[in-house]
Amino acid sequence: MIPLIFYLGLAALLFSIGLYGVMTHKNGIRMIMCIELMLNSANLNLVAFSSYTDTLNGQVFAVFSIALAAAEAAVGFAILMAIYRMHDKINLNELKSLRW
Amino acid sequence: MVKTALEEFAFLIPLLPALAFVITFFFGRKMPSGGAIVPILAIAASFVISLMITLRLLANPDEVISQSYPWFAVLNIGVLIDPLAAVMLSMVSFVSLLIHIYAVSYMSGDPGEARYFAETALFTAAMLSLVLSDNILQLFVSWELVGLCSYLLIGFWFERPSAAAAAKKAFLTTRIGDVMFLTGIIVLTSDILKLAGGFQDGTYLLRFDEIFSYIPQLSALQTNIFGFEVSHLTIITLLFFGGAVGKSGQFPLHVWLPDAMEGPTTVSALIHAATMVTAGVYLVARTFPMFIAAPDSLMVVAYLGGFTALFAGTMGIVMNDLKRVLAYSTISQLGYMMLGLGLGSAIGLEAIGISLFHLINHAFFKALLFLCAGSVIHAVGTQDMRELGGVRKVMPVTAATMAIAALALAGFGIPGTSIGTSGFFSKDAIIEAAYLFGENSNNWIPYAFSIAAALLTSIYIFRLIFMTFTGKPRSDYHGHESPAIMTIPLSILAIFSLVFGGLTKTGFMNFLEETFANGFVNLNIGGLAALGRNELVGTAGSESLFVQWLPMIVAVAGLAVAFVIYYLRIIKLGPLASMKNPVYRLLYKRYYQHKIYTEFFSLGIVYGVIALLSQVLDVIIDSIVEGIGILTVGVSEELRRVQTGVVQTYAIVVIAGVSLLIILVKLIMEVL
Repeated sequence: MIPLIFYLGLAALLFSIGLYGVMTHKNGIRMIMCIELMLNSANLNLVAFSSYTDTLNGQVFAVFSIALAAAEAAVGFAILMAIYRMHDKINLNELKSLRW
Repeated sequence: MVKTALEEFAFLIPLLPALAFVITFFFGRKMPSGGAIVPILAIAASFVISLMITLRLLANPDEVISQSYPWFAVLNIGVLIDPLAAVMLSMVSFVSLLIHIYAVSYMSGDPGEARYFAETALFTAAMLSLVLSDNILQLFVSWELVGLCSYLLIGFWFERPSAAAAAKKAFLTTRIGDVMFLTGIIVLTSDILKLAGGFQDGTYLLRFDEIFSYIPQLSALQTNIFGFEVSHLTIITLLFFGGAVGKSGQFPLHVWLPDAMEGPTTVSALIHAATMVTAGVYLVARTFPMFIAAPDSLMVVAYLGGFTALFAGTMGIVMNDLKRVLAYSTISQLGYMMLGLGLGSAIGLEAIGISLFHLINHAFFKALLFLCAGSVIHAVGTQDMRELGGVRKVMPVTAATMAIAALALAGFGIPGTSIGTSGFFSKDAIIEAAYLFGENSNNWIPYAFSIAAALLTSIYIFRLIFMTFTGKPRSDYHGHESPAIMTIPLSILAIFSLVFGGLTKTGFMNFLEETFANGFVNLNIGGLAALGRNELVGTAGSESLFVQWLPMIVAVAGLAVAFVIYYLRIIKLGPLASMKNPVYRLLYKRYYQHKIYTEFFSLGIVYGVIALLSQVLDVIIDSIVEGIGILTVGVSEELRRVQTGVVQTYAIVVIAGVSLLIILVKLIMEVL
């Protein structure tokens, strides 16, 4: 059996990659994809712990989390589409209409 | 003390009129005559109970009724009926009852009839509860209630600006006294608490017997004021007297009393005879043991009383308004009562006797005078004496009863005998006591005041009688005698004015002297007087013939003056009684007191100080408030730059924050 620490290490790596992506990319779609990466790293943790403790709780949480991520992605992409239609751009650094 | 059935009813005396107030207030409008029957029955019942208690006390002065019920911790509510309270209760309920009956006719047809009867019932209830309080706090509560009722009733016709102003004036002026009274109670309470070393179980803190038991210790407490050693007892009694000055219309707080005429005449009768103004005299009488141990305060009471008697009399002789003459007369007579109490430094407990005797007699003839005046005003429709004249022909009963009241007020009688109007016995007793005081202390000022005031009393009241009832009508009026429901109370009061004094003079005073010498407190007045280092010299009534006759001579002289000027009209006053004469103008303008109070004190000083203060406060408060506003705007102006609108900045902040939090938690865990 693969020790727990490997799963956690992989999840941390995934999370860091996702975080890096969110911080550096300007394209909204890429940012959403990176967020998905972070979410999945969390799911990986949940499932790992679930199997480690021999209970089902973590797995159930993971299923919920995936469902939520799907819904969130749908909404997020819809917002991006709307922004693109209005402003003709997808670069989030240039969308500053909410500043002071 | 054996508990008898009568005691069980004592608390009903104020409660019945209070209930009548509630009933009349809510349902009076649906009843005939504004529900007048309810207060009349209630007050009649109160009167019967009071009278029965008084009669029993007369037979056995030791059977003082005293009931106390716990209220808050060491405070109580209770009933105390000793001779002093008993005669007051009987008088208040009796006079109030007659006035209520009279008012059924006087107020009929007034749209506010139900309100009138509700308020007078409450007024009576408040006064009765004031009289039978067994502690000073309950007395103060009733005292304030009396003040409220006078405000409501003086402003009864509040749609008239003058009535509203008079009500306000009465309320504010007496309030000055009330604050002094309250201050006195606070000083007294704090001193007693200090002396007793905190709250004592099993005693009621402000009950009169409890207060009186601290008199020697209070007298020993000294405070240095402007280099004088003043005992706390003197301070407390002076503050109490300040309250009495406001309520009883003594100089300089008497200004509200003449204006109180704006209410219905029956209200004036109630205020001037039975309720409001007697409260101050009653307060001084109730706390008399404290006063007698503080001779300086008694001196103030005597001087101020004597001065007020004279001062109000001088204004009474120039007024042209029927009711205003009577108002100044009340102030003057209240001055006599206060003078009588103040002479306690010479005659001891007898002072309560003569003062209360005058108070009771005065209640009868002053109520009568006012009700007669009301009868005239009701029938004729004017109260300006210059427009009246010859009213005797159309209103014989009113004229006769008012003449009797005038004789009683001026104090007609034959010295040395039992023949005389009731005012004669009580006023002469006070004047003789003043003489005794003068003889004893070589201080003749109170005596001179009282004699001069007696002369003025006689002049102004007969001036009123002659101007109103004799001669020819000076204006076109149509009068008729008032109905029986009004003349019967007049006749009853007239009988009392004539014979009450003669019948009860010695018994009454002896009875009242029992007040503080019974099982309830049992005070040694001589011992208390020794605390204040004054010697009681003895009994009035044993003076030379000249002293006995002088008040009578003065009264006749006053009558003669009025007769010559206003009946025979031989002497024309002409320029003497015109505004060109500076003395007359001074009197007629009431010594400009109104002007001084309103324009100098309230507008000049109080208003000026408040205006200045408010400007200063405006600057301070405005700068504080606006400073806060400016600060907030400035800070947020800078802070809002944090909002970049760039999603990634927010994300960085969130991540940095979360990371910091984790590090912090980790550190704390390490430390712990």
